Amino acid sequence: MPKTVLPPLVVLAICLFVLPLVLSALWVKVVTSAAIFALAAAGISVLFAQLGLINLAQIALVGVGGWIALRLNYATPLPVTLIIAIAGIATAAIGAVLALPALRMRGLYLALVTLMAAGAFQILFNAFQFPNGGEGFWGVARQSAADIRPPLMVQTDVGYLRYSIVIVALCFGLVALHRVTAPGRAWAMIRQSEANAMAAGVNVTFYKIWAFALSGLLAGVAGALLSGALGQLDPRSFLASEGILLFALAVVGGAYSWAGAVIAGILYKLLPALLNDFGVSADIALIVFGGALLHAIMTAPRGIAGQLIGALQRKPS
Amino acid sequence: MMVYGLFLVSGLAVGSLYALGGIGLVILRNSTGVLNFAYGAIAAFSAMFAWQIADWGLPGVLSWISAVAVGILLSVAYGRLIAPSLAWREPAVKAIATLGYMLILLGLIGFIWEDALRKINLPSDKVAISLLGVRVTLTRIIAFAVSIMAVIAMVQYLRRSHTGLNMRALADNRDHAALLGIPIVKTETLAWGISGALAGFTGLIFGSLVRLEPTVITFMVIPATAAAICGRLRSLPLTLAGGLFIGVVESMLTLYKPAAPLRTMAPFVIAALVILWMQRGQKLTFAKEA
Repeated sequence: MPKTVLPPLVVLAICLFVLPLVLSALWVKVVTSAAIFALAAAGISVLFAQLGLINLAQIALVGVGGWIALRLNYATPLPVTLIIAIAGIATAAIGAVLALPALRMRGLYLALVTLMAAGAFQILFNAFQFPNGGEGFWGVARQSAADIRPPLMVQTDVGYLRYSIVIVALCFGLVALHRVTAPGRAWAMIRQSEANAMAAGVNVTFYKIWAFALSGLLAGVAGALLSGALGQLDPRSFLASEGILLFALAVVGGAYSWAGAVIAGILYKLLPALLNDFGVSADIALIVFGGALLHAIMTAPRGIAGQLIGALQRKPS
Repeated sequence: MMVYGLFLVSGLAVGSLYALGGIGLVILRNSTGVLNFAYGAIAAFSAMFAWQIADWGLPGVLSWISAVAVGILLSVAYGRLIAPSLAWREPAVKAIATLGYMLILLGLIGFIWEDALRKINLPSDKVAISLLGVRVTLTRIIAFAVSIMAVIAMVQYLRRSHTGLNMRALADNRDHAALLGIPIVKTETLAWGISGALAGFTGLIFGSLVRLEPTVITFMVIPATAAAICGRLRSLPLTLAGGLFIGVVESMLTLYKPAAPLRTMAPFVIAALVILWMQRGQKLTFAKEA
């Protein structure tokens, strides 16, 4: 057991104590977003690795979480951490609603339903925008946006980075807990054969909805954290195309381990920023991502994380 | 009345583009089992290439032909180089792999052509007739006519020709078709080619009718997929009907003020309803793959 717990703790410690010291102000923001999107990618991985379900609408759920968090932040005096929890739970409920079609279908048709959902949400976000302190239910002000409250004891960007990483780590722990307890076992059986799982007394419906709710929770928390990190959300960050990209990167990173989600977050946010810094066009990143997705699907189903772990575990002969 | 006619005509034009996209997707999916999400990217690449040819001052006919040729080339390249190694995987994995190709093409387009305002001028834009009191350009009529002709031609082709028979056999059961000695690779290449040609043509017309913007054309694949879903990813006539219906609904919603900003949601809502309706009465998914 300690062998599997050690690496994530080391990474967590580095993120908490080393990164804030070495990063400049700009990169603190980039790393914060990378950590947040690692969480969203973890939600994709839960469905893909545990149940073999393809969810292209994760980015839409991130947007929903962000919307709820912004709305509550302007409308209520609740503590920000509580708002993040509420946003997560509310998004989990919406994720569970998305699961309803998934109860009857899998494979290609489910991927298509989520793609349609992603397309629909993209238009909703565009039509209604994100709250920025205005009046009314939609809360969109025409003029300048109002500031949102930061979490307690978090005054700086570095503080927010630490705060986000702690929450992301807690959520990763929640996912790990699921894998080793009853839901994880039920998911494994469902993935092998739904008929057998049902025959063995597994409540297939319940555990499928549970998986979608967990995935939605991660997306909602990610969205809420993102709204706090950026202060304002742009509908253009939640296009269906971004959902496709995030899914692709979750597969490229490796859906079967927490490290894969972290790699996905890094690829999604950090790599484009790095390339930009080096003066390389972001289009190159797209070409690389596309090639990496093909490579991952054809020859490396466990993604980069799987290859790294495999390389580390191989004993020198 | 005039207003309705106007939106009906523009709806049919957009709808026939969705339908054309959907038909290309269905033809390919029927014989190879691949739902090609890169379809829109292929269309976008072809449209940009056609623009480039026209921009170099070469004659318009050449730019038309080049769009179709590039479409075939890109589609067959994937079909021959990448698709065979995924042939025995489940449909969802095949579809996800094409997302990788889509990203590659999207990156290439962005790399080759800088973002700018571009326009494809087709000679058919200048010719127009009056219909229901609305001026209808020849391009729109071509889009509409080609989508209908493509369906009729493909249905007849599949029904009567020898290669069409091979395609149908492949669609039914790939393993059995291989066992019977049907040249699988040849038949599939043909399907990739036909689908690519349609993609190139769709991209060209889309670039002229709607907007010549690579990302817009690339993600036209989503409403095109919606049209294909209306045909259960199988039936060409239903795909055509679905595409036209979606286009007209989307266009007509403009007239109803509260729904106007949400009108582009029409393809997604209609497709989601169709999927749910198709799965009605089905309780368990078991091992059966869609």
